[in-house]
Amino acid sequence: MKAITLLGITAIASLGLAQDHSGHQMAGMKKQTELPAMPRDMPAWLAAPGADHLFYKAAPYNWAINRIPKFAKDMYATGVGHAMAYEALVRGEASTLETKTFDTINWVLKNQPAMPVDEGAISPTFLRKYGYLEKVFDWAHTLHFQTIDVFAHPGWTDEQKEKEIERLWAFYEAQPYAITGLPMNMDYLDSFSYSMKFRTDYPKVNGLFWGYHWLQTVNYDMLYRVPVKDQAPQYEVLGARYHETELYKTDRDFMPMTAEMSPRFAKRFPQIANAFDNLHMLHDNVNDILAQPQLTEAQKQEQVKIAIYRVLATTHISETPGESEGKENSLHDHRHPPSMPGMGWMKGSEDDIMWMSGMGWMDMSACSHCSIPMPEGNPWGATVSAEGWTMMVRCLMCARDMAGETPGRAIIRAATNDPNRLLVLISDEEGNWTSNIDGIVFLEKYGEHPECSGWSRAFTTLAALEKYVSENPEYKDTKPLNLAEWAALNHGTPDTYRKIDKPNPYKPGPPPAKGGGR
Amino acid sequence: MRRLLLISGLLLSSLAFASDHNNIEAGRPLRFDDAYSIAFRERAFEFGLSLDTFRRRGPTYGNKTEFKYGLAKNQDISVAFEPTYSSSERRGDIGNVEIGYFNGLRREIDNSPALAYRVDVGLPTGRGAKGLDLRFRGIATKALGQYDKVHLNLDLNMNTNPGPGERRHTVGAVLGYSKPLGYPRRFDQTLVADFAIQQSKNEGDGFVGSVGLGLRRQVSPRTVFDIGITSDIFSTKGAERSPVRFAIGYSVSF
Repeated sequence: MKAITLLGITAIASLGLAQDHSGHQMAGMKKQTELPAMPRDMPAWLAAPGADHLFYKAAPYNWAINRIPKFAKDMYATGVGHAMAYEALVRGEASTLETKTFDTINWVLKNQPAMPVDEGAISPTFLRKYGYLEKVFDWAHTLHFQTIDVFAHPGWTDEQKEKEIERLWAFYEAQPYAITGLPMNMDYLDSFSYSMKFRTDYPKVNGLFWGYHWLQTVNYDMLYRVPVKDQAPQYEVLGARYHETELYKTDRDFMPMTAEMSPRFAKRFPQIANAFDNLHMLHDNVNDILAQPQLTEAQKQEQVKIAIYRVLATTHISETPGESEGKENSLHDHRHPPSMPGMGWMKGSEDDIMWMSGMGWMDMSACSHCSIPMPEGNPWGATVSAEGWTMMVRCLMCARDMAGETPGRAIIRAATNDPNRLLVLISDEEGNWTSNIDGIVFLEKYGEHPECSGWSRAFTTLAALEKYVSENPEYKDTKPLNLAEWAALNHGTPDTYRKIDKPNPYKPGPPPAKGGGR
Repeated sequence: MRRLLLISGLLLSSLAFASDHNNIEAGRPLRFDDAYSIAFRERAFEFGLSLDTFRRRGPTYGNKTEFKYGLAKNQDISVAFEPTYSSSERRGDIGNVEIGYFNGLRREIDNSPALAYRVDVGLPTGRGAKGLDLRFRGIATKALGQYDKVHLNLDLNMNTNPGPGERRHTVGAVLGYSKPLGYPRRFDQTLVADFAIQQSKNEGDGFVGSVGLGLRRQVSPRTVFDIGITSDIFSTKGAERSPVRFAIGYSVSF
């Protein structure tokens, strides 16, 4: 019987279809019709009566987030919203979610607490019913805050910070409440009979939640390997975007993913990026379960426990990232885009090609501007953050021209000749750039795009540029450019750019006119 | 006094981390505990100043310092020192050193209260102290409405070597109440109140009943400030009463 099932799966998978482990047909991906059944190996701690509060890792960087006060307060406010919504749902006040509860949460988001809040104290009814879930949330939120603190800490080098992030992950993973750092099949995790209920019935509050997830993930590239003094200025751009737009978006196709918002961080720390995405997916599952009026209280309790089980690290012991053979579109499908290990498998994905909400189909292995494959190793090129997205590009020219095509403010983070000095450029609404490095000089000798990472570069000093030119005599006649001269250039959309023209897997209709699906 | 507090605060804020205004500890500022331990691996210092007034003698000043450590999940241990100064006697007392153990047995689940117990041992380090002071406290915490909570503490105290005219065993009870202030617009302070009844140590004296009111306020992610006032409102069989007792404290964790 087992062999027949396996053969069946293989045959169906070859047609682009698959069966999930409970036997329901999945087409990238159909909704299941029955509630998931309770696994036999549920961890014992789920039934433990203790509060089991855990303290964060003692370290000198704790609460360094407060060095970016606006960001810290926005992060503190995110805890209030989830707690208030959960409290309303378990108290039978779902009918007020889009009105009274939304207004209350929104008030807090605009008048943020100056300190972290105790989510359990704000949602005491929820805590009495789902205390085991709070353990998972609390512990993952601790990881969120501590990783941010490490990056915002001024006393350490980037290398020290990266080592500490690894230690924090080990510290986090040692607890039974830890969420797996493996990439998960997001399409599968969003395919249950209750899935999408919350976002459908409560789009405004769901918009706030996904707005939080945007903030909680976009910040990592703002911080990672960025000098502490250059972090807060970026938040002026990102924070404004968060408050003006991201919190109130109700048309996202899917929750924001860490690798979409902070690709450099997700590439470097895939296990953490995956854990955050899995955490956010757990939030979505819980929202959907609690919002299902057809489910009894006992069924909700059971389904929340099953949702926790799905994403726990202990459920996936000995499994490895990238593995899926025979397990496609199931709980143990750990595929990821080959060039992005910090991203689970998304609806309609094909290798590195995935649908990004608001951008369309993107190839994660290629420059978002010129479609040429990204160079291997360092320097890694640059990222562009604008209009709520962050994209990886091969060179500074691609970064500048891509930002120039996009309305509103933008941030470019780019490698320089000095691996320890990241260039951070921030533009205003008119496209005027400011740099975090005084005296930054640029080399740009427009040529063939496949070579652009060689002829479009930034240098921290003129001497460094001259040294590069002496090693690469083909640039000897190229005039070094200061920031204003460099910013005035624009080569438009390159000939090499290739649009991926496929329909939105989440919604019928044409792909968006702008972004990667242009 | 203000300067002393300010200096203490500045010193502490440079070395400390997160205490929680929702997690209520005996003495900070009233007499009851809630049924939750500090977090696993958390270390905390709690500092307090107190002033006790009496009808028949001058006030007594206290300065309590307590160190706590989250030994395991739901369990903590503590050591406390409370030197005092009696203005009537014009001399100080180093006081007993107290060692405590707290065990949270269960959190509040549905309609069942959170339960915990703590055991404290007072070593006879104070002036004229003899024997060990032992206290066993049973603790229950339960929601009252949505955000408010009530906390019941039942105490059994024992001295292994009571002095002449002193009881070996005494009992006491505290009914505490806590309410977050400012929800849903602010989340940094908790109002606390209690009613306590405690049997006098002196044989022949009866019980003292008292009420207290206080506030715990989060000062930073790491620190909590508390202030409280207590008054003994009745006593039986001539037990000594303190008309007013002030307590002010500062807790830090790291």
